[in-house]
Amino acid sequence: MKKISLTFFLATAGFAMAAEPPAHIDLGKFPAKTVDDVVVPVPSEVFSVLDKLQSPNWHEILRTVKTNPGGQRSQTALVLGTVIAEGFIAVEAKDSEEVKKIGRAVLNLANAIHVEKSVRARTTSIIEAADKKDWPTVRVELDRALHDVKNAMTELKDDQLAQLVSLGGWLRGTEALTTIVGKNYTKDGAELLHQPKLVEYFERRLSEMDPRLKNSALVSKVQKRLLEIRPLISDSGDVSQKTVERIREITADLIQSITTKEP
Amino acid sequence: MKTLPRPFSLKTAFRNLAIVCLGVALLSQTARATIDDALSYALQAADPYVKEGFTVREDYWGGDLPVKQQKAIVHQLFKGNEYWFWMGTDEKGAKISVHVYDSNGNIAEVEKWQKPHFAAARVIPKATGTYYLIVEIEKAEHERTHWALSYGFR
Repeated sequence: MKKISLTFFLATAGFAMAAEPPAHIDLGKFPAKTVDDVVVPVPSEVFSVLDKLQSPNWHEILRTVKTNPGGQRSQTALVLGTVIAEGFIAVEAKDSEEVKKIGRAVLNLANAIHVEKSVRARTTSIIEAADKKDWPTVRVELDRALHDVKNAMTELKDDQLAQLVSLGGWLRGTEALTTIVGKNYTKDGAELLHQPKLVEYFERRLSEMDPRLKNSALVSKVQKRLLEIRPLISDSGDVSQKTVERIREITADLIQSITTKEP
Repeated sequence: MKTLPRPFSLKTAFRNLAIVCLGVALLSQTARATIDDALSYALQAADPYVKEGFTVREDYWGGDLPVKQQKAIVHQLFKGNEYWFWMGTDEKGAKISVHVYDSNGNIAEVEKWQKPHFAAARVIPKATGTYYLIVEIEKAEHERTHWALSYGFR
């Protein structure tokens, strides 16, 4: 079964037998150990809200991507995640040249971790759609590329690398979000950082990783710094400007480490 | 009546192993195919909403469930977006449902519908945070029913 998280039964959930769902259920009765998966949103889910709240200068946020793989497979997976996230930023910036570079970078990085076959067609579609400035298609193809890469890794029994791809994308997306919100702080914009279960999920996945991956200096650092982020966004939905800046510093530091070749 | 043990034959053992492997592979393919069929129904439900500007995520969730047993999927939703969740099953006689609750356990959907093969729920989050998608097979002819869930946002 794919991506199923917590299981519970009628008796424990207190659900009525009627077709009409109950107005309230007691989430506290669910055993925490059964919560083993969380849906990781794509960056465009967050960016689409930002676009409605303000008009960010996406070109200021957009960065030139790293096209060469890092030293270890874990680093390459993290870089791949950041590059795909950059693709979503390039779509917001409507920068077709950058999107095309990102398409090629995705292929190059996928090649380094032996999943290039799964994304070759996707990267071609990304480049073609970018040429036509067909942004909705680019967005869809980036999501598909992310999905295909993770699936291919799962087929190769590299689930843990697939999780690092998701984590890399989340870190870059969060860095971009904090940069935008930090420049023009609003309570609604900052609320987008209220993602407690996601941070818990990533933390849990890292702590369960194979020691060979977990003990790499980079993965250890990511795990350590995620622990710093957790208390900043796990309380109420209110995220102060100071907190936004703190999260930005942490995620920027991690992105810097991810995109710098390990010794 | 007693049966006498047959002499061990490597050839027979390999043949039996091959038959078992083939059986397992076929069963696994069948299970996969039915989840894929359930997904195709979920995506069919999504189709009209794509025309209304919803972006459908490539990721999906699925499996099989006995009648009346529920499962939850933890989901991060963002205030400012609008979401539709589409559930599908390949079993025509089954009645399935998907409902969405916020982190306080309060129902969060603003609209829902059920039809043979399909169920759907729409959410306009009042706050950014964690939500719980509850899927259930309410009625079915078979012991277990395959299902798949997809979602879109705008």
